[in-house]
Amino acid sequence: MIHFVIITLLPLIWILDIALSPGNALGGTIGDSFTSEHFSKILGSDSFWTWMSNSLIVSIGTCLLGLTIAIPAGYAFSRYKFTGRDVSMFAFLLVQMFPGIIILVPYFLVMKSLGLLNSHLGLILAYCVTALPLCVWMLKGFFDTVPRELEEAAVLDGCNQFQVFTKVVLPLSLPAVAVTALFSFLAAWNEFLLALTFNTSNDMYTLPVGLASLISSTGQAWGDFAAASLLVSLPVALLFLFFQKFLIEGLSAGGVKG
Amino acid sequence: MVRVDYKGVTKRYEDGFEAVIDLDLDVKDGEFLVLLGPSGCGKSTTLRMLAGLEDITEGEISIDGMKINHLPPGARGVGMVFQSYALYPHMTISENLSFGLRMEKGESRITDAEIAERVAESAELLGLTEQLDKKPKELSGGQRQRVALGRAGIRRPKVLLMDEPLSNLDAELRNQMRTEIRRLHDQFGTTTVYVTHDQIEAMILADRIAILDGGKLQQHGEPLEVYNNPANDFVRGFLCKHINETVDTANRIFEDR
Repeated sequence: MIHFVIITLLPLIWILDIALSPGNALGGTIGDSFTSEHFSKILGSDSFWTWMSNSLIVSIGTCLLGLTIAIPAGYAFSRYKFTGRDVSMFAFLLVQMFPGIIILVPYFLVMKSLGLLNSHLGLILAYCVTALPLCVWMLKGFFDTVPRELEEAAVLDGCNQFQVFTKVVLPLSLPAVAVTALFSFLAAWNEFLLALTFNTSNDMYTLPVGLASLISSTGQAWGDFAAASLLVSLPVALLFLFFQKFLIEGLSAGGVKG
Repeated sequence: MVRVDYKGVTKRYEDGFEAVIDLDLDVKDGEFLVLLGPSGCGKSTTLRMLAGLEDITEGEISIDGMKINHLPPGARGVGMVFQSYALYPHMTISENLSFGLRMEKGESRITDAEIAERVAESAELLGLTEQLDKKPKELSGGQRQRVALGRAGIRRPKVLLMDEPLSNLDAELRNQMRTEIRRLHDQFGTTTVYVTHDQIEAMILADRIAILDGGKLQQHGEPLEVYNNPANDFVRGFLCKHINETVDTANRIFEDR
């Protein structure tokens, strides 16, 4: 068990060492020297905070828009029979089977003609489209486990269809909603390729693109890069800690009877 | 006066399967009617059409002489107890009981004070006073069943519906709850429709039983009258023979001793 922990942590320790070592070199012995210059440089740079705010806006936007669409969609797929239901569920998966790079060029052209290049909205829309299929499937899977009799009881208690959903089904599904929210947030937070393609101005970079720009052909600022990487991972790690209880409940949903 | 009438009621599913065929049945005011039959005989569908959980394909169901075919379930004045209890897991027992009352809006809105009073009253009646702040999963099967009963009754429904409410309980609790259900019925006199596949349960609880098979009503009458005068071979086999065999088995146990 401990071996796995070491293997997992090794790259992290390495990157921490680079971030704390003076100069911008990659070599050196772990723990031989200490400086906070890289961290202060990154935290003191305007670019980093611009990227951070871009990333936050895009990720939170993706998360909110994604959930707004995925929750009702997942519920509809779970509970209603309608023409084209099975086909559309399969079509959702079909799109996931192609590597993202295939749709990169068409995507770019669409965004360009919509005037959404170099905008937060463009990225949010694009991320939602990529994250939705999995979100919808995850939520549908969870809604399937909510017993129908609960909804029938609520109907007899005088709820209309919408109230059945908001007062009974949704509160019961919070773990799954939390997992889905985290998933779509992370997908947006870590995405690189689309963000790089759609954004040409430094002001619009998200963190992953900004990070990559630190490693340019003119000079490899590995120390800055390492410090920035750790700072970028921090919110994600905190989110995981915070959602841990929900995550375990959500991911194992349906495994145990409710 | 609360009576329920089924007139020529048929339930046909999209695939053409007929779960209930041309059913004529009446439930008298304050009567405890048991719908009895084997699995797939249409007894649950009959109940669910009355509750509004299934559409009525043909015919008419009325409560108190008023046709209810197109009323939404919440407006029919019925309360229902489900086999799985169907308590809201995220709400406390008190919230479970009061949920239906809190849903009343507009003119029929019920004040918080009255809701609290009615919850306390129901809890007292069902011995749940100590459990009001707990969640359903902290309760035993019997207690959950009581909550389900309380939730169905707290809105003072015209008709109380029960769909195999005792099948998830062990034998001892089942006997206990059976007595309890009958006691509550005798106390309040609410017109009740009760679905079961258990012949003994039906004989003990019912004022009248209605036996169904293949979606068709086979016989409808007081338990002993049906037992003594079975209308056809199905009733003879399903009810009379089953009860006689149960009695014989019980007797044999004592003879062997």
